[in-house]
Amino acid sequence: MALNRETSGNRWRIRPDGPGKVTGGLAYLTDLSAPNMLHGLVLRSPHAHARIAEVRTEEALALPGVHAVLTHADVPGLNRFGIAHPDHPVFCEERVRFVGDAVAAVAADSAELAMEALARIEVDYEYLPVVSDPELAMREDAPQLHERGNIQHRNDYVRGDVEAAFAASAHIVEDTYETPRQMHTYMETEGGLFVPEADGRLTVYSATQHGLMDRMQLARILARPEADIRIVSSPIGGSFGGKDELNVQPYGALLALACGRPVKLHNNRFESVRAGLKRHPMRITMKTGVDAGGKLLAHRVRIVSDAGPYSTLSAEVLNFAVEHTLGAYRYEAVEVRSFCVFTNNGMSGEFRGFGGNQALFALEGQLDRLADKLGIDPWELRRRNLRQRGDPGPFEQPIAQTDGARQVWEALPASRLWLERAEAAAAAEAAPAAPTASAAPAAPLGMTPDADLRSASSGTAEAATLQLPWLKIGYGASFVMHGAGLGVGIPDPAGGRLTLAPDGKIEAAFGYEEFGQGLIASLEQMLIEKFGFAGSDLRLVVGDTDAVPDSGSSTASRATSMMWQALERMREPFAHSLLQVASRVLVLPKERLRIGEGGVCDAASGERLLAYRELAQSAAEPIACETSFSYPASPVERVGAHYLYTYCSVGVKVEVNTLTGRVRVLDQFHAVAAGPVVNPQGFLGQIEGGASMALGFTLTEDAVMNSGMYLTRNLDSYLVPTIAEQRGRVEVLPIEELPDGDAHGPRGIGEVGSVGLAPAIAQAVFNAVGKRVSKLPIDPAELQEVPDIVKEGSCPV
Amino acid sequence: MAANLEEFLLSPAVWQPQSSGAAVRLKHALGPLGVYTAGSTLLRTQWEAGGGKLPTHLIDLTAIPGLDRIAVQNGELIIGATARLNDCSSHPVVMERAPLLADAIRQIAGWSVRNQATLGGNAASRVGDAVPALLALDACLVWHDGEKQYTEHIAEWLSVQNWPGMLEWVETRDTIGLRLLTSIRIPLPDEYTTKQTRRWFAYHKAGRREAFMPSLVTAAVAAEVGEDGAFADIRITAGGGRTVPLRLTEAERLLRGRRPEAAALRQVHEAVREQYVPEPDPFATDDYRKLTLANLIAAELWKRK
Repeated sequence: MALNRETSGNRWRIRPDGPGKVTGGLAYLTDLSAPNMLHGLVLRSPHAHARIAEVRTEEALALPGVHAVLTHADVPGLNRFGIAHPDHPVFCEERVRFVGDAVAAVAADSAELAMEALARIEVDYEYLPVVSDPELAMREDAPQLHERGNIQHRNDYVRGDVEAAFAASAHIVEDTYETPRQMHTYMETEGGLFVPEADGRLTVYSATQHGLMDRMQLARILARPEADIRIVSSPIGGSFGGKDELNVQPYGALLALACGRPVKLHNNRFESVRAGLKRHPMRITMKTGVDAGGKLLAHRVRIVSDAGPYSTLSAEVLNFAVEHTLGAYRYEAVEVRSFCVFTNNGMSGEFRGFGGNQALFALEGQLDRLADKLGIDPWELRRRNLRQRGDPGPFEQPIAQTDGARQVWEALPASRLWLERAEAAAAAEAAPAAPTASAAPAAPLGMTPDADLRSASSGTAEAATLQLPWLKIGYGASFVMHGAGLGVGIPDPAGGRLTLAPDGKIEAAFGYEEFGQGLIASLEQMLIEKFGFAGSDLRLVVGDTDAVPDSGSSTASRATSMMWQALERMREPFAHSLLQVASRVLVLPKERLRIGEGGVCDAASGERLLAYRELAQSAAEPIACETSFSYPASPVERVGAHYLYTYCSVGVKVEVNTLTGRVRVLDQFHAVAAGPVVNPQGFLGQIEGGASMALGFTLTEDAVMNSGMYLTRNLDSYLVPTIAEQRGRVEVLPIEELPDGDAHGPRGIGEVGSVGLAPAIAQAVFNAVGKRVSKLPIDPAELQEVPDIVKEGSCPV
Repeated sequence: MAANLEEFLLSPAVWQPQSSGAAVRLKHALGPLGVYTAGSTLLRTQWEAGGGKLPTHLIDLTAIPGLDRIAVQNGELIIGATARLNDCSSHPVVMERAPLLADAIRQIAGWSVRNQATLGGNAASRVGDAVPALLALDACLVWHDGEKQYTEHIAEWLSVQNWPGMLEWVETRDTIGLRLLTSIRIPLPDEYTTKQTRRWFAYHKAGRREAFMPSLVTAAVAAEVGEDGAFADIRITAGGGRTVPLRLTEAERLLRGRRPEAAALRQVHEAVREQYVPEPDPFATDDYRKLTLANLIAAELWKRK
């Protein structure tokens, strides 16, 4: 049953942070200010690659009202950051490697003064050649950006004899797929407030996806114990992976400590574009062979990923991409070669989908091209090659088994959208009309997406528009198998804590972050549904390193799964503790009691017998329960291999306007096999929201660079989809069934919505106009045509 | 950056003259330090992007009584320069008598911008999305030079080469840059006379997404169509990006007195691609923009058949 407000019944709840966000009443961390606060700004390199000859700060420092001007000489600890590989300078010493590189930072009485101070810092640069093409960067004669060379990371995977498998193939397709430098475009840009406390500690109010990781990194930079730093990091106005790495925190922390006063930093959009992370642009070449029956034999992949100047999580993203270029299918032999390359382009880093988006666009494109060669339906080709229940994962590693792959495969042909497509195809076949002025090239599904098909559509408005011969309709689909969790070889802790607080609130503390995804709404819903509490009984504590246990990061589609696991583990012991104390206070056997709304209730009648406040006051010791465990991992050596997967099928219907070459997505269907739906609104929001990001990835978004400089410096040229792009229907079908005895519960859904849409749109475009798209965002010029109405000898209808 | 800190820290002085004449005299007095403004939407995006200096003096035109008036007078639709875009496009007279302009305005930026921005500002930028529509409607611009008002045909104004941009006016001492656009006059057909022709309009803005985007190509068509379906008169205009809008005179010539049959469409399609030379845009090739324009115009004409 499709997931929506109506079908969710009373499980569709108003999220606890909803009213504040909708009314604008809620304060984000970048809205905070403090008495006696200074304003900080960072001086960034205007060049993509240059040597720093000299930095002179005297004039800036001499300006009245300027309290600190810092450079690399002022960093007491490690002058580097980076979650996995700390090689990103807090302040550059001798060289800048991209236009966002920091050289100095200032704190002043006002933002205007800080800006003036920046203007008075003199930096002498000597230009160095700009390395902007990852392919050229890999050559030995290319300027080297780091001592270790320009290849940041390689990851190869070879199984079987791929040459022999190609030799045995009946059909082979080869193509190169290119994907854009997509920006996260969170509404709230990076920023925060940094407060030196009276007791000598430092409080950092700044967004992140992993407070404890920020604390560790800042301790390393500041040369202070972690215990001296408190990170407050939620609520967040969007992150999508983009705020997991440090951004303004090192500067805010250093300036606040240098001045002994609170300092606020907040990037404007221009600075956010310039300094912030983007999705790795990838160039993926694939050669894939099948036998005459459509069985995949050989699959050769070469990935070149543009990391930008420093590492952050580029290696991990590449590992993920390698795994997902293999995806859900079985092959006789595979060979993946991959390179992550340093360049002087903007910083690339973590972004929802984590390399899966690029990989799947290429992989599904190959399946569609092969189906075309074989003359069979692309969905049927997928069925013939899908991993079956019991099969290992893409790296042949053991994985948690489900029927997800089969289930989502079957869901697509049964969907409303695919039934409509079948009807349209049948109508076209029944009435093979005379070729119209707009005869489309052969469509792979035996359909003619022209006037015949259009006349079959319902709805007068749509039908009327569709009479226009330059509008072409097409359908396409893709299959997604997306891993969650950090994968083998990376510590992946999880855990949480439940406490009956002295004021009677049930306090649930997790080291996760609320960045709009609905984390606290899901936590609230689980506590209500699993325990029987009322929403008003609860206090949800996230995003404060002084108050939360180590739950790991809010990344990799893992937070909700791990909260569910943690609550499963704590349910019995915590309920037991509460009821035991209640039993003593009420002088009733524990079996006659249960957890209820507002307090402990009579198990039979439901009557409330003891409010939680009274229970808290009666307890001799605090009632608390804590759990600590790890995200489940596959027992293999292969770094990055996953154990839990979510499966999706995605179907779309598009309209291509061949006058302009522009594509509109009219309808989407997403079947998602991810176990039970924890929070219907959150689930729908994640799939729809992810799909919306994928729409931008496919149609409009690209942070265009020229010689290391951004051409798209702001949101007036970097174009995210508007509501006008999203007028089409989106249907989401959750498949909640898991095999008997499955212990893992809900799988991750934070990223999958963003992964499958691009290849489905590309196939739908092919279905509509017979042109293969292999570069995103789709260039309308590739789909534009001279209309038949002006062609010689044409007879306009 | 200028080192005079005190000056730097001062926000612009905002002047609110009470008449057009007073505004122009103020501009004469302030010279390069003063800049006219109303909605400030374009100026703000320019100085936020670091492309323009924050002016020392802003001459706020919104206090001038009647400068935002929309009215019909002597067979002309007169729109005051400070009329807000949303007020224009939702004005009953504009919607009824100049639907082409209403269409064009609805494609400009986003709703919140249109609540602030003015038609005068959009026109004065020379490359605003309303300009092709105004050109197709044969509009005239009314200027005030400090002493008197005078009228200039929009085509004449657009044909001036090297017109300074809005912010460059701050720097220029050229007297032409000191004058003020006070209103736009659009001739209206006599609605009481029975005519043998009917009016027909079309407007297109194509960009890199569906809404709230910079244009790559804009096209406007205004025509008088005879009972036989032939064009008694037709004006076709094109702009897009930084391209100063122009009349596509060759396409117009080809269509005048003809019906948009296949041969005519073919010739028009070719003529449009020939005559339209867009200013370069980093996000689309000239060929794409030429073909888009030719396709959109041909398609509109074909729909009229």
